[in-house]
Amino acid sequence: MRPNTSPSHERPAGAVPPSGHADTRAPFYPNHLFVEGVVALLVFALLVILACFWQVPPEEMADPSDSAYVPRPEWYFLFYFQLLKYFEGPLILVGTFVLPLLIFAALFLLPFIDRSEETRPSKRPWAMGLGLAGLLAVAGLTVVSVVQDAEHRMDLPPITEEHLAAGEDLFARFCVLCHSMNGKGGFMAPDLSQIGARVNRVYIERVILTPQIVSQTTIMSQIPLSDDERHDVSAYLARKKK
Amino acid sequence: MSKIWLFIDRRLNLSPLLREMADHRIPDHANPLKKASAFMYCFGGISFLILLLQLLTGMFLMLYYVPSPDHAYASVSYIKNEVAFGALTQNLHRVGASAAVVMVFLHMLRVYFTKSYKNPRELNWIAGVLLLLVVLGFGFTGYLLPWDQKAYWATTVGVNIIETVPWLGGFIADMLRGGDEVGALTLTRFFVIHVMFLPALLLCLLAAHFFMVRRQGISHPL
Repeated sequence: MRPNTSPSHERPAGAVPPSGHADTRAPFYPNHLFVEGVVALLVFALLVILACFWQVPPEEMADPSDSAYVPRPEWYFLFYFQLLKYFEGPLILVGTFVLPLLIFAALFLLPFIDRSEETRPSKRPWAMGLGLAGLLAVAGLTVVSVVQDAEHRMDLPPITEEHLAAGEDLFARFCVLCHSMNGKGGFMAPDLSQIGARVNRVYIERVILTPQIVSQTTIMSQIPLSDDERHDVSAYLARKKK
Repeated sequence: MSKIWLFIDRRLNLSPLLREMADHRIPDHANPLKKASAFMYCFGGISFLILLLQLLTGMFLMLYYVPSPDHAYASVSYIKNEVAFGALTQNLHRVGASAAVVMVFLHMLRVYFTKSYKNPRELNWIAGVLLLLVVLGFGFTGYLLPWDQKAYWATTVGVNIIETVPWLGGFIADMLRGGDEVGALTLTRFFVIHVMFLPALLLCLLAAHFFMVRRQGISHPL
């Protein structure tokens, strides 16, 4: 028994179509099921290969007190996080509420908005244009996000004894005027004896570059350090764990 | 074998159901053996396959995973380092999540650009958009479960984003977190959403999705 809502091209297997020719379309069972089985095995093999080669470096256990950690979402949410960066202050609602609402409302209602029977791409410029624009936006935002993340990581040089010694010297020249270390130094700014246990090296770098990220009203000035010198100081401080 | 089948079929009369499921023909435009461009019509099936794989690997991970802040991280380490094939299973689940999002997205693009959502398939399109939301929900809730730094802080940011939504945002954020901060309750909630609520929703929506495809047939080519 066939449902009468079935489109005309879906006839029961083996039935002779109105044109009088025998139906040459492949039957689902067994022909197409076999093709599906082959595709399924290929996909499974590909996933196992991917799982073997695409590993992520292990992370430390969650530490709710380490608010300096800069989290990144799973890659398929990156475009959305990038989008949110362009909406600041009260405008954030555009990114977190208005746009998602509009996009998902449009998606749900799409078949009722776009009601014409026309399916040829050349005859539906609006749908094609919007679809491509959406696709490009998602792809573009993802790329921008990945590029910015790579810049943000700053490719810090590895920590060596040499860098640590240089960092200690620089700290003694510039930082101890205000900051203290193991009881020695100024008291105009926070003690940094255990700074490495509280924040990571990237965050230390960012604070030296832009002290205002800690507080808008900080009295800390931009310290005249070269990139290499800053890396030395951040190496030294990142190792100050206890 | 055939005797057992006859025994069952005489009592339950299953053959008409089986015939209804297996006895249909594949239109040439959706058959990759006949037309190369038909590979686009495989995306939905591949999405389904990957979701099945996710269910399976997820079940095996649940044998060892403990959804508490004290043990989650250690139990994932145990899976990765001690359990036989644990590292592969865990990584398959992680890679599979990405693959599922990619395939569901490609499937949606195919349906969009071939306008397969038009009359009479509006309802199936809506089921598809719901399925997309469910798959993204799996991704969001699953990200917290390893309870590492990335998981904790990404979830904090994610829930903070939800919190900015007017009227309902604060309520939803509190419901998800079970408090003011991401903590033990958040982890158990995300875990139960990830392994019970979403799979139940997923299976219902998939059943509806497939029922409608079989009932209406594969859409016409362009």
